[in-house]
Amino acid sequence: MSDSAAGSAQKPSSSVKLVLLGEAAVGKSSLVLRFVNNDFQENKEPTIGAAFLTQKCPLPTRTIKFEIWDTAGQERFASLAPMYYRNAQAALVVYDLTKPSSLVKAKHWVAELQRQASPGIVIALVGNKLDLANDGSGASGGIATATENGVPGPETDGDTSEARNEEQESATSDARKISTREARGYAEEEGLLFFETSAKTGVNVVEVFTAIANAIPETSLKGTRGGGAGAGQSALGAGRSGDDSRVNLGDRNAAAARDGCAC
Amino acid sequence: MFQLSSFVQKAQSLIDPANFIIPSLTPSADRNPSKSSLFRQQFRLPDSQNPLHEITAELALPVAPPSSSTHGERPRDGDRPGNRYAGQLHLSERFLCFSTQPTSFLPSASFAVSTSFTGQTHGTGPSGNGFTVPLCSIRRVERLHSLTHVFALALTTWNGALGRHPSSSAKDPPFVPQRFTIQLMGSRQACERFCDGLKKGLREAMKEIEDLRVVVMDCYSEYLLTGGSKAKGEEPDRQPPDAGLGMVFRYPGDARKLRDRSKMRLWAEYFRENGRNFTLIRQPTFHKLIRVGLPNRLRGEIWELASGSLYARLRSPRLYHETLSKFDGRESLAIDEIEKDLNRSLPEYPGFQSEEGIGRLRRVLTAYSWTNEQIGYCQAMNIVVAALLIYMSESQAFFLLSVLCDRILPGYYSTTMYGTLLDQKVFESLVEKTMPVLWEHLVKSDVQLSVVSLPWFLSLYINSMPLVFAFRVLDVFFLEGPKVLFQIGLAILRINGEELLDVQDDGSFISILKSYFSSLDESAHPRSENPKLRAVTRFQELMVVAFKEFSGITHSTIEELRAKHKDAVLENIESFAKRTSIRNLGPDSKRLSVEDLGAIYDRFYEVLYDHEQRQKLLAEEKKRHEKKKFERFSVQAPPPDAEVGRVGLGPSSTQMDYDAFREFLAATAKWAVADVRGQAWNEALSEKNRQLSNQSSVRGRSKSDLKLEDKPEPADHEFMQRLFRNWDVDRSQGLSLQNVVNGLAHLKGTRDIMNSINYFFDLYDNGTGQVDREGILGMSEALLFLSRRGFDGALTPSDLPDDSHDAPLSPYDREQKEDTKLSTDERFLGSVSSFIRRCFEYADPSHLQNQESTGGGTTVDQAAADLDAFSIGDDDDDLIEIEDWPNLLPAQSTSKSASEPSNPTSPSRAASESANAALNPDHPLHITLPTFRMVVLADELLEQFFESFFPQSFHLSDHPHPASLAPSSSLSSNLTTFTNLGSVRSQSFSSNRASVISGATVAGFSGGIVPPNKGLRGVLDNIVSDGMRMAAEVRKKMEEAQREMERNALGREEDEDDEDEDGRGLVTSASSAAAMVGGMSSWGVGIYSIDPERRSVRERDRDLLEGAEAASVVDGKDVHYPTGDAGGGDRTNDHDSQEVRSSRRTSDSVNRGVFSMVEFDS
Repeated sequence: MSDSAAGSAQKPSSSVKLVLLGEAAVGKSSLVLRFVNNDFQENKEPTIGAAFLTQKCPLPTRTIKFEIWDTAGQERFASLAPMYYRNAQAALVVYDLTKPSSLVKAKHWVAELQRQASPGIVIALVGNKLDLANDGSGASGGIATATENGVPGPETDGDTSEARNEEQESATSDARKISTREARGYAEEEGLLFFETSAKTGVNVVEVFTAIANAIPETSLKGTRGGGAGAGQSALGAGRSGDDSRVNLGDRNAAAARDGCAC
Repeated sequence: MFQLSSFVQKAQSLIDPANFIIPSLTPSADRNPSKSSLFRQQFRLPDSQNPLHEITAELALPVAPPSSSTHGERPRDGDRPGNRYAGQLHLSERFLCFSTQPTSFLPSASFAVSTSFTGQTHGTGPSGNGFTVPLCSIRRVERLHSLTHVFALALTTWNGALGRHPSSSAKDPPFVPQRFTIQLMGSRQACERFCDGLKKGLREAMKEIEDLRVVVMDCYSEYLLTGGSKAKGEEPDRQPPDAGLGMVFRYPGDARKLRDRSKMRLWAEYFRENGRNFTLIRQPTFHKLIRVGLPNRLRGEIWELASGSLYARLRSPRLYHETLSKFDGRESLAIDEIEKDLNRSLPEYPGFQSEEGIGRLRRVLTAYSWTNEQIGYCQAMNIVVAALLIYMSESQAFFLLSVLCDRILPGYYSTTMYGTLLDQKVFESLVEKTMPVLWEHLVKSDVQLSVVSLPWFLSLYINSMPLVFAFRVLDVFFLEGPKVLFQIGLAILRINGEELLDVQDDGSFISILKSYFSSLDESAHPRSENPKLRAVTRFQELMVVAFKEFSGITHSTIEELRAKHKDAVLENIESFAKRTSIRNLGPDSKRLSVEDLGAIYDRFYEVLYDHEQRQKLLAEEKKRHEKKKFERFSVQAPPPDAEVGRVGLGPSSTQMDYDAFREFLAATAKWAVADVRGQAWNEALSEKNRQLSNQSSVRGRSKSDLKLEDKPEPADHEFMQRLFRNWDVDRSQGLSLQNVVNGLAHLKGTRDIMNSINYFFDLYDNGTGQVDREGILGMSEALLFLSRRGFDGALTPSDLPDDSHDAPLSPYDREQKEDTKLSTDERFLGSVSSFIRRCFEYADPSHLQNQESTGGGTTVDQAAADLDAFSIGDDDDDLIEIEDWPNLLPAQSTSKSASEPSNPTSPSRAASESANAALNPDHPLHITLPTFRMVVLADELLEQFFESFFPQSFHLSDHPHPASLAPSSSLSSNLTTFTNLGSVRSQSFSSNRASVISGATVAGFSGGIVPPNKGLRGVLDNIVSDGMRMAAEVRKKMEEAQREMERNALGREEDEDDEDEDGRGLVTSASSAAAMVGGMSSWGVGIYSIDPERRSVRERDRDLLEGAEAASVVDGKDVHYPTGDAGGGDRTNDHDSQEVRSSRRTSDSVNRGVFSMVEFDS
């Protein structure tokens, strides 16, 4: 209803189905909330089943309308995931860079997607909660470039692993448990986009989505689906209306004003 | 007869997946729910209750003083005062229940039979009008005398009397106890029987009255009618019971708008007339009052009452707090997960922004996760519990959550969320049926309905609708059950149908429903002229549509659809679980093909499932037998295993114990299948101590035999135990799927001879990188064990060493072979015996000197010397021990004879002495991996054994990993040191082999050997001939050894005076030696060591041989086997051996028949 005001209406517009996967409480919903509403909530209700939101992302030549399926993270909801990643053209596999187990889970998801999702799906590996890592500078953007040899470090839970010190000069009270190098190495191996983000501060969030939008091959883009395209923004799981803290309809204008990704 | 029936049972349990996988529905099979489970469902009783007696009856209620215009379903106006209801009276162990609702079960109960019950409850819920009173709340039962044949009981309850303080009773209005009458309709006998049952139950129930008092005092209704009324005038002498966080943080919604006060008044009135909490009698007003929405403070209690969780709480009133304190301080995955969600459960409700509310939520979820660890914690439970806690105390919420998860919504929150997925399918099919146009549209526009509806069901609409309305749905839901969720869901779609028909994608679909939910409080007909119609809210409209328009959706509709879709849903879950767990097996698993992994996965869970089923059957049988007072059996039966192989629950941490592991192996490798005949013999012959030590497994086997005729019976061998221990890396006495996969991956993953040799060595390695004497003997036993079912030509084509492999053999050797046409099996025996000999040779280089001096068996020794030179250079340990060996004790010359029989090539005294030296227990010896490798590689058959047979004998799928198929270049490349030895080796050893062979042939033919490798006959004959030849050979050796020993004994002062008890000579020596000798002779005949374990092993082997012999005789005479598919491939072989076994079974059916008759049919 409102995005036409952004001046992107003339450009060809196509919708992309994107699914978020990852362990519980790594910040999937928060990433989406940041991207869609430029907002952050400390106590985001857990997603039951999945939440559905949309956001447009204007590129120089076209506009991508993301139809975002934000899935529940708890292990047992995993069997529902195929329902959501069905026909998805892009996936955001999120882990918490302060929690080694979440990267293991993320790898499982990547493997699942590579085998089960539609071929040619664009997958981005995202390490969230960068704000908890002291070395804030470690934020890396863009498609991982192969400089280091991508051998993932040992996934020990031990936080004193030497492998990490390489990247983190300032190891003072750092909650980070997964080095950028380790994750990027893995991402390169698997041919994934790789980012470290903070939904809390907003670092790199828009960049992730923009990179995905750019990575979607032109050929796989379909035209915008008709109907209430603009009105489709709503959270499924966090569904009660009239409670604007959890329902995105209320924040619609704010989001529109921000006008998608700043790319 | 018994076997047949058990087979049918087994088959049924396999066919009916209802038994399988859906552990979470009622414990019994749910496609045909048992009468008791239906009974419990109808009256919402705890699982402990069973319908004991039932009788048609008429409930007569006293006339209500204010007589609010209630019309019973079957009002009898005029002649009698008060309401009367005709219905069915039921008695269970602890409850007396009455319902006007036709029961959903018949005495012969199953859904198929009880067609009379449509499931329609007309808003009264399945328990209808009537009552469900615990027997302990009945104070008095009188039998009313009447002139007619009417058999009437007058019941007086504790209603209102429990909470009365003796002191305050004076001030109260005169207390009128609740009293009503029931007329039993039935034959006098039936009535008497019912009354007897009731009397017994009442007596039993007396002791529960204290629990009843405790629970009743927590009920708000009690406070409302006694304490509450007093609080107005004087100082409140009683705190109101906890009615949830709402008492502190306010209840959601506007109390005035909800007309909370007048609802409260109505309920108070209802309680006064019809009793409260436990003694409440359901009349039509009850259901109406629920439909209009419960008042805040009573909501929790009525939920408890309607759902039956109140009865669960009565049963163990302290369970909640006990659970919390019992597990205080413990940690679990569930607790971690709970902790993550505590701050995000209904965060907009003020109570959950406070420590108080969060604490309650934490405690309830944690306590539940402990009582049901299989469910643990599932997201969405936090939301449901948070909602419950607004209206009820922690303990109440705990029990209601239990009832919700276990009974009302089984499988919803389980680890696979099976129930949720199933109900989504059911919902979709209901939409298709009731709104075909909409359904078609959704399908066409590729909108997946469950994407929208799943959260509705999972969080009971709490998270979808504004709270006030969600609670109204819950009010009805707890009374009428899960069908309410479907009715509401359908109504939502129906009301929004037109708009939804315009929808093209998920997004707009969701947003339409979202805006609908947010407008539930608005008028449904805002433009209507009629003010009354205008006042109807959208929510009211929703309720009307749900319960009027979709009144046809009944509990049985849902049940039928669930049954219909169950299989498909399970299959989906299963394949997903399989896919995921296989993918997550870690790097080692990559060595196996996906098909192999799939085969392992299936087999693993199948075995676990079978195992569990068998345990269950055994437990049932045990129970049955106990009832019949057959003590012998019940003593024998193992305790029912609590372990559950939850196939449908996917990758759980289920582990298989050793017995299950044996079954797994039996399904995987031919050699792991027991020889039934041998078993029977074994059981008949074995000593008591053996039975004692092996009791459990023997028992399990004999029973499994009866239960699962179609299953290969697993063998039990030390090798399998070693394998088990080796795979059990975390020493948990159980193997997870991961353990099994890793074990097999290491074994099969790389088809490299070095790998499998190392693997085998590791099994016997005691952690020091060495295998001691005991281990060497164990190894050789294992080799024989593994090979005893033949080499399965299809599996190991390269194993037929005839021409291609034996090319470098000497002409002489080849000649020999052509002459005799010996089977691989036979030659392998020779290889094993030389294996032992060489092991001892190279473990003990001093032996070399002895042999040189004697000059016997020249070629062999020559080769041995060559090899030895290599081994000495390779391994310093052996050198060190050389020094010890010269001090041979003459006494040991006897014990050598035990080892000798297996070494047919060196019958000379000198050679036996050298072997003797190796057996000297005073001089511990060992071989190391290089030595072992060398010894294996020195023998062509052993080499092939490790190269192909050993890894391949573990049969997984028909599509092995390409890597494992790649021809191995192993031998030459890996062991270059051997290349120069090659000629010597092959020459010397082939001649060695030839002599073995010729010797064996004589014995074999004399024992009636038949040319092998002729299909079924061949297999059988191989076994027979092996046994016979060995027996003959061993006997020969023994005789020689004994003769020799006699000669020796003359000149020596040691203790062997008794010639045929050579084993006993070792009694004095270390027990390891004794065990060893026993092990050595385990394939011999007639030599007993003193070690009972060893002895039994040996005897079993002997039995095996003799059994095979017997079977072959039968075979030769008159038994004709079905030829079956004689097509090539390993399958045929499997098939063959199966038939062999079955034929053996036939042959000794008399024997076994007796056993089973005695054990099971009595």
